[in-house]
Amino acid sequence: MSVTLLPHMRMLVVEDDRLLADGLVTLLSRAGHAVDHAATGKYADSLLTRTAYDLLVLDVGLPDIDGFEVLRRLRLRRSPTSVLVLTARDAVDDRVHGLDLGADDYLTKPFSVTEFEARVRALLRRNLPLGTTLSIAGLSIDQSAKRVRIHDKPVDLTPREWALLELFVTRPGRVLSKEQIAESLLNVDGELSPNAIEVHVSRLRAKIEPAGVRIRTVRGFGYLWEGADE
Amino acid sequence: MRERPLATTSIRRRLLVFLVGALLLMGVVAGGVTYWVALRSANDAYDRSLLDPALDIADYIRIDSTGAHLDLPQKALEVLVYDHADTVIYQVRSDNGVIINGDADLPPAPEMGLDEHQFFDGSSRGQRIRLIAYRAPNGYVVQVGETLNKRDRTARELLLAALVPTLLFAAASIGLAWLGVARGLRPLAHMRTELLGRSPRDLRPIAEASAPIEIAPVVDAFNELLRQLQASSTMQQRFLADAAHQLRTPLAGLQMHLELMMRRDLAPDVRSEVQRMHGATIRASRLANQLLALAKAESVADQGKRMEEVDLMTIAGNAAQAWSAMAIERHIDLGFALAPAPVLGDPSLLTELLDNLIDNALRYTPAEGAVTVGTGVRNGKPMLTVEDTGPGIAAPERAKVFERFYRIAGTKGDGSGLGLAIVKEIVDRHKGFVAIDSCEGQGARICVSFPGVA
Repeated sequence: MSVTLLPHMRMLVVEDDRLLADGLVTLLSRAGHAVDHAATGKYADSLLTRTAYDLLVLDVGLPDIDGFEVLRRLRLRRSPTSVLVLTARDAVDDRVHGLDLGADDYLTKPFSVTEFEARVRALLRRNLPLGTTLSIAGLSIDQSAKRVRIHDKPVDLTPREWALLELFVTRPGRVLSKEQIAESLLNVDGELSPNAIEVHVSRLRAKIEPAGVRIRTVRGFGYLWEGADE
Repeated sequence: MRERPLATTSIRRRLLVFLVGALLLMGVVAGGVTYWVALRSANDAYDRSLLDPALDIADYIRIDSTGAHLDLPQKALEVLVYDHADTVIYQVRSDNGVIINGDADLPPAPEMGLDEHQFFDGSSRGQRIRLIAYRAPNGYVVQVGETLNKRDRTARELLLAALVPTLLFAAASIGLAWLGVARGLRPLAHMRTELLGRSPRDLRPIAEASAPIEIAPVVDAFNELLRQLQASSTMQQRFLADAAHQLRTPLAGLQMHLELMMRRDLAPDVRSEVQRMHGATIRASRLANQLLALAKAESVADQGKRMEEVDLMTIAGNAAQAWSAMAIERHIDLGFALAPAPVLGDPSLLTELLDNLIDNALRYTPAEGAVTVGTGVRNGKPMLTVEDTGPGIAAPERAKVFERFYRIAGTKGDGSGLGLAIVKEIVDRHKGFVAIDSCEGQGARICVSFPGVA
């Protein structure tokens, strides 16, 4: 499993439903992470004050203080922990509230294991120290040297293609609209028209798809990186 | 009232009957009194004009050796009693009834003292006449009478003079009463219009300031009822949120464990069992989501408050995020044709609406087909369309598919039959309109239009 590329992360799962909590803990532990579990908001809060976790998987509906409050206290302490909020309520409202409070991502219950893994992977990748080499399928990405290899053969990418790849890799399973891509590439050099983006994406595709990763087109909207999915 | 012809208590009618009745009665009484007073003073004046010739005639009664006679030439007498309109007759009679001058055919004078006079009615030669009788100090009685021509004419004129203003007054008072009642009842009419114009979910209290004091207690009671409804719908809303959590969390746990199990080495028969359980779990989740969405869409809570300006394009963009992976998994080309389409709406309900349309389209479109989501403004109306290349919806089914749990017979797919019912509910809540264009066998195009943002 590709979550294994980042072993020994410290994680806390805050979920009061035993069944779901067991599943989450099992999944993350099997991927090689050190996982703690809290079933109440207060216990989670006390664990969070004592331990610096890399990732917090946080349910909103908890029996004592709710997940948003745990999150608020965490961010009040200026903790850099990545937070994935699990919500079972109105997705839109909870999402907005959660992101306002400093959540990094959210997932609406129920969700598939694959989806959960993709989100966790993306969050961990975002927090990788500079210089870490990522390997996705046949692709290995050396972030500090900005070098990409497919099955150990180097591939030449233009700065724009590199920026595109970085954007996709940190957002697996996410559809990126052409507007979002244009915005992200703005600092690389100048403004890009939707047509120019299409050209760059198709060039990047041609270069990296031999590694077994895919960039899907969402017609009339943007692109979806299917990178490391089994 | 048009709607309730049998209504017995119309405030307007009661007020009008009373006001118009009272005003008419007052008009008639005022007119009558005016007429009567005017007629009396006119008659008094005419009576007085009879007194003068009677006194004059009495002055000329001379009594000498030949007896009593009038010391007046006939011409002078005629001038004295001349009237342009009436025939005037007179009589001079001695105390013992001997007529010394004038007309014999006069009614007998009433008994009087010396130097007294009296007016009375009588008749002469078949005509009604008004008379004065004067008993001079010497005992002779002078009577002067006249026909009633000018009195009758005056009476007619006075009647007319009293009647015309009375009628005008009556007409004006009916009109004013009508206007006054309408004006007085206007706050009620406003309230009625306001209440009729409300959506059934609008539970804001009626503005008490606009209510007249007389109906303030009714408004208060009604607002209290609205407050209770609001409170219970808030509770209902909270219940829905809790129910969502309580339903979705165990389903999420179940789904996760089944998926973890499917990653293990399983005997083929066990794998297929687990897969079926997994499918059922996903269906249960979806049904729970839809039931909650439906309950939320028709819940009366906080209507109006949540309506905000949202762009359907943004909602569709989020849908791209949510549905692309599933479309790819099913080998369906999910595409978008988006243009700005601002509407006034509830973003979470609009998301739910689009989710159901896309879910439906993906469900009924075979692999290698296409589903296209479109947004934009047409003829000033924001539109949302979802087009697919599935089997389409036959014309007779198109109205029925919006009914709850209705599923087209013989179709594949594992839908609950709630998706389009939710769509309809949410569209109604946004005062929009949903239509299905479809040629059987050539896909369906569901088009939702919304009122433009003013």
